[in-house]
Amino acid sequence: MRVKIDEDLCSGQGRCWKYAPKVYELDDAGFNIHRGHEIEIPEGEEKTATMGMKACPERAITLVRA
Amino acid sequence: MSDINDNRTADPDLAPEALTERFGFDVMRNFDLDAPQFNENFHEIMDFVVRKCPVVHSPNGKGYTVFNTEEAVRKAGQDWRTFSSAKGYMHNRPDDLPYLIPVEQDPPNHTSWRHKLNPFMSIKVMESKADLMRADANHLIDAFIDRGSCEFISEFAAIMPGWAFFKHNLGVPVDELDMLVHNVERGLYAPMEERPGYFGKVFEYLDGFLKMRQELPPQGDIVDAILEGVTYKDDEPASWEHKVSVAADLTFGGISTTIYAMGSSLYHLATHPDDLKLLLARPDLIENAVEEFIRAYSPVVAMGRTCTRDVELTGVDLKEGDFIMLGFAGASLDPRAIDNPRHLNFEEPTIQHSTFGVGPHRCIGAHLARVELKVFLEEWLKRIPNFRVKAGTAPTYETSFLRSMGTMHLEW
Repeated sequence: MRVKIDEDLCSGQGRCWKYAPKVYELDDAGFNIHRGHEIEIPEGEEKTATMGMKACPERAITLVRA
Repeated sequence: MSDINDNRTADPDLAPEALTERFGFDVMRNFDLDAPQFNENFHEIMDFVVRKCPVVHSPNGKGYTVFNTEEAVRKAGQDWRTFSSAKGYMHNRPDDLPYLIPVEQDPPNHTSWRHKLNPFMSIKVMESKADLMRADANHLIDAFIDRGSCEFISEFAAIMPGWAFFKHNLGVPVDELDMLVHNVERGLYAPMEERPGYFGKVFEYLDGFLKMRQELPPQGDIVDAILEGVTYKDDEPASWEHKVSVAADLTFGGISTTIYAMGSSLYHLATHPDDLKLLLARPDLIENAVEEFIRAYSPVVAMGRTCTRDVELTGVDLKEGDFIMLGFAGASLDPRAIDNPRHLNFEEPTIQHSTFGVGPHRCIGAHLARVELKVFLEEWLKRIPNFRVKAGTAPTYETSFLRSMGTMHLEW
């Protein structure tokens, strides 16, 4: 599974990290450190990664490959 | 005007007479955030509007249009170039009200401030202060637990958010908090023409506070960050007035909103015994419950933007200069985005909601609010598990672009 974090849409809501702390990391200001990039979801974390994606009020995280 | 409501004009429920008879005013064509009927019948009107006519117009004052769908709120919130905050977020903003910085700015100046302030309000920093807030909650509960009753707003909800913000973030002594909270409240809910006076008092206090802090050695906190300030796009440093305004913005944002979130959480539990039973048995669900409470009882009704060009938003044509409001409360109850929005599900919460806004202006205090609400509920339910609204009383509310609770008498 692979997702993309939109650079402009991420506003530091922090919900991705809350629901999937092993997938999404936040910088000191609370923004997703991978914004502007795609990331591979570690094996076994697909469910939490999907929750973190759905929790984003900005819809900044999109599925690249299931 | 093409309009999301157009295809419903044949609906007899939406006829002016029908709406006036049902709600006391025409909620679709003559909407009024400040109408006493809106305050009294808030949930009934919101549920109706969100389902039947999510775009409502107000001819009051300078006029405004409120968009109550998740889609419109998200699109306009994110498109700051088209939907500007620089002319303020309040409907019918009095001309003599000073602008609140950075909420009433656009990028890049807004961005400079948020970069400066965000690290002090991040989710991890706020979670590290949970035990301080937990001690506050217990201290307040100690004062009335043996009495078997309390007036929840004045004895708890109006105090804890101020402490959380002033003691643990701004670091001001709390002696003058009552005065400050009063002026913040009146600045937000008093008749529009009286609001600037109350705003002025808050600015005056914070001006003195920042001057006092300027004389002390730096403490590496958010106050120092405000005093350090930022450089604007024209290479000008932010003015002293702007620094005071930043402190005021943070103050206005966090108090009244949290009062409502706390009050409506307890009111919901007092009136939904099954939900209370579930949280008492499963305190691990409190964090989920907080998300559901703030979604279903959003303290921010609507925040405004000014259109910088002619534009269409979810099928509604808008003109340059039009003032629109993003209905956060409505968007978080929008059945187009959320299944069964009035049902609060603590086990499988609706994790996506717009309560804290969307886009670059999303609430900077969101994480503080979440931690406050979580520790408050954990301690309250542990110590006062069986509480009820005092017989013969009902909570009172105040509503404008925000909604807050005035009083709620509880007993146990």
